[in-house]
Amino acid sequence: MRRRASGPFQLQADGSFRVNLPPDVRELLVHLFGELRDVLTQGNTSDPALRRLFPVAYHDDAERDAEYQDLMRSELVASRLTAISRVTEAIGGGDRLEPGDMDLLLQSLNAVRLLLGTMLNVSEADETESGTDDPDDPVAAQAHLYSYLGWLLEAAVGAAIAAVPDGGNPPKLR
Amino acid sequence: MPSTVPSTREELDLDQSLDTTTDSPWVVIVWNDPINLMSYVTLVLRKVFGYSLEKATQLMLDVHHKGRAVVSSGPRERAELDVYRLHEHGLWATMQKDGNDK
Repeated sequence: MRRRASGPFQLQADGSFRVNLPPDVRELLVHLFGELRDVLTQGNTSDPALRRLFPVAYHDDAERDAEYQDLMRSELVASRLTAISRVTEAIGGGDRLEPGDMDLLLQSLNAVRLLLGTMLNVSEADETESGTDDPDDPVAAQAHLYSYLGWLLEAAVGAAIAAVPDGGNPPKLR
Repeated sequence: MPSTVPSTREELDLDQSLDTTTDSPWVVIVWNDPINLMSYVTLVLRKVFGYSLEKATQLMLDVHHKGRAVVSSGPRERAELDVYRLHEHGLWATMQKDGNDK
């Protein structure tokens, strides 16, 4: 886990959030959410590349974990797809996020980052991003994207925290 | 093939097994990972469990520095629901019977 500074979602008086993202960033996010949706709908959720999206539940009991995954994995996929659909519509089509949509944006941004971080094999020791500054180096491009998404997620977390009354707890999600 | 009429000894074993299952609370563990942001983990713990900022921050720091932290405990069904909600948010969470320290 790392610390980062904050940025472009502004809490409004009515509890919603104003989105201040340029068109190219919105396009990028809609594209990334689309890729995440494709991975979830077309890929095998047991693929090691997706292990961070679908962790084991019973780490010391394979039999119980298999039962758990049979029951819960499809529900987890459906939940992620619903989140992707909502945030794609909100980010791609407007400047406003409802309070509930911010939670879904956090989940979806984090899911993309988990996928990318797994692909890049990010480790705790990586204090600086890996790769070179060569724009033609695909690993460097992915590392920059991973770094940018971290900044954006930190910004979204900052905005979500601002919605919490001083000293109070945010509402439970369910 | 097992007999359809269990022996007394088998019934005793079954009773002990049930007692163990129902009496032992389950614990939900969040594990450290290099991808999730510290601020995000803290926010998720506050949202999912309604924890105060202080408690959520302390748990996040335990995860970060000690490698893992027990974030909730209770009956198996409750623990499964907690694990599911943490997985929804991308946290690396697992569950085990309290005392099964592996």
